[in-house]
Amino acid sequence: MIWIALLGPVITLLTHLSWHSIVSSLSYAGALDPLVVSLESGGVTLAVLFVICTPLAWMLAHGSLPFPRIWEAGVLCSLLLPPLVIGLLLVFMVGPYTVFGNVIAHFNLSATNTFLALVIAQIYESAPYYVVGAQAAFGSVNPRLEQQAALLGDRPIRVFRRVTLPLAAPGLAMALAVAWARAMGAFGAVIIIAYHPYGLPLQIFTTLQETGLASALPYALVLLVVALPLPLAAYIWSARAQGRRRG
Amino acid sequence: MLKADVEVDRRDFTVRAAIEVGPGERLALFGPSGAGKTTLLETIAGLVRPRSGLIELAGRTLTRTATPAVAVPPWQRQVGLLRQDPGLFPHLSVRDNLAYGRATDPRGAELTGLADALGIGDLLDAMPTRLSGGQQHRAALGRLLLAHCGVLLLDEPYSGLDAVLRRTLTALVVRLATERSVPAVLVAHELADAQAFANRIAVLDRGVVLQTGGPDEVVLRPAVLRVAELVGYLGFVPVAGRPDTVAGIHPDRVVPGAFPARGLVLTGTIAASRPAGAAFEVDLLCAGVAAGSRSSSTGSSGSGLPGSGQAGSGQDGTSPDGGGSTGSASTVVTCRLAERPGAEGETVTVTALDPPCFGPDGSAAGGRTGSVPERAAS
Repeated sequence: MIWIALLGPVITLLTHLSWHSIVSSLSYAGALDPLVVSLESGGVTLAVLFVICTPLAWMLAHGSLPFPRIWEAGVLCSLLLPPLVIGLLLVFMVGPYTVFGNVIAHFNLSATNTFLALVIAQIYESAPYYVVGAQAAFGSVNPRLEQQAALLGDRPIRVFRRVTLPLAAPGLAMALAVAWARAMGAFGAVIIIAYHPYGLPLQIFTTLQETGLASALPYALVLLVVALPLPLAAYIWSARAQGRRRG
Repeated sequence: MLKADVEVDRRDFTVRAAIEVGPGERLALFGPSGAGKTTLLETIAGLVRPRSGLIELAGRTLTRTATPAVAVPPWQRQVGLLRQDPGLFPHLSVRDNLAYGRATDPRGAELTGLADALGIGDLLDAMPTRLSGGQQHRAALGRLLLAHCGVLLLDEPYSGLDAVLRRTLTALVVRLATERSVPAVLVAHELADAQAFANRIAVLDRGVVLQTGGPDEVVLRPAVLRVAELVGYLGFVPVAGRPDTVAGIHPDRVVPGAFPARGLVLTGTIAASRPAGAAFEVDLLCAGVAAGSRSSSTGSSGSGLPGSGQAGSGQDGTSPDGGGSTGSASTVVTCRLAERPGAEGETVTVTALDPPCFGPDGSAAGGRTGSVPERAAS
């Protein structure tokens, strides 16, 4: 019963949609542009998270940073910040009248109402989820195995590639999948600093306001269709990887 | 040749130890839990930084704190470490685990030959979790040997396995280490494991090597009373004519009957007995033996020297002190006898073979009861 209740919104969405309404909502020119924007910005967000936040998560898991509790509290703090508040604060951090805004203006870039702004907002909304998940993934790797690899002749970077990363991979995949879902659904911060270009969440919001609930529902379905496969694939891959290790 | 002379700070004490292990030689570090044995191994492996010291392997300096300082990182030390957890990589097959070390061909003859020798030749394509504990240890040992480590460090690797498997694996390590002339160091807190493995045993306690000697030497001739305690001497009785000197009684070095020429004769009543393996463990209440500093005394009053005239025969002046002359008490002496003893309360006479003696400072006092010449004469 609880399982059905948890899936209630999805079931409701499916029962309130008709093939006709989906086709009519998504068939006009440019209807799928928000989908493309969301996929592109989500992809860039994931790449940035993986490159920047993976080392941070590794260092947090290994306690190799000074005052590790302070670093962890910082990550937790960003996790707990309401997305709308993040958006408001980002205006003061990367807006056009800030140092960052002035610097990127020299390169004809802006962090307000641009693709860059959308990526920044998505990063801030999803990064804490990835860091926490990746930290747990690295923390689950037995340090004795890393020691053993080193004693067998591997330098630290090689130990990371041959032992740490493969063993943490299922957890990292799940963390990336959660971050992807958060990035695709990012709305609170996005609506403040990246109203344009429209991603799927904003498209849903504006369609709801302009033409009503029935027209917004097809976009909600599209958002679910693009947001869910990666987490599901990560879950299945993670389960299969664990199964292979069990032989 | 492995040489290590280090001082390593731990939270509760400093490990100060010096060991040397030649090619093909096997040294066991024996001592209680928390004695610093693992710390010493991890220091040799480069996982723990010593406060001061020098570590050399095959003429190559791995660690030197004196100027010019040297600290070779673990991945360049060529030191193999095997712990109780075999540490096989769970995402790699047994074959890939074996081939993990330096430039080992996963399909090479060396790998398959060693796998066959280790008895895991038909498990090469299995994942480690499918292996039994013993098979995992064989694979882990093979991985170290294939990596051509310059020294094998074994940190109680088989303590979680049953006795038969432990002996089998120990014999395997001994054979392979000897064949390959690799020095090997085993950490053990079971004396039998250390003896089964080693040419030499170093007894370690609170970071200090108390004695180094042959597998039988540390038991038969413990250098200090603490070593005697660690190798299993359970009772210490005063020696007549030598104030503050006690003789150590090892349960396994006691025979029934009175043989004054072979050691210390004790007579007492059976306080308790129980089966111990194929033998019987007996708590003998030796009334009248003045309690030594380490003996477990019942505190009851003595009633004269047990087996008066038998105890050590007084030939070398090392018999238990006379009843009551130094404040007599009843002392429980534990011994293991091959045959079932009598009922509780029965009087039994036993001889502790050639017991070592210790002075008031705990050092060996020389001249054991039932001296060797007498034993030879007998």
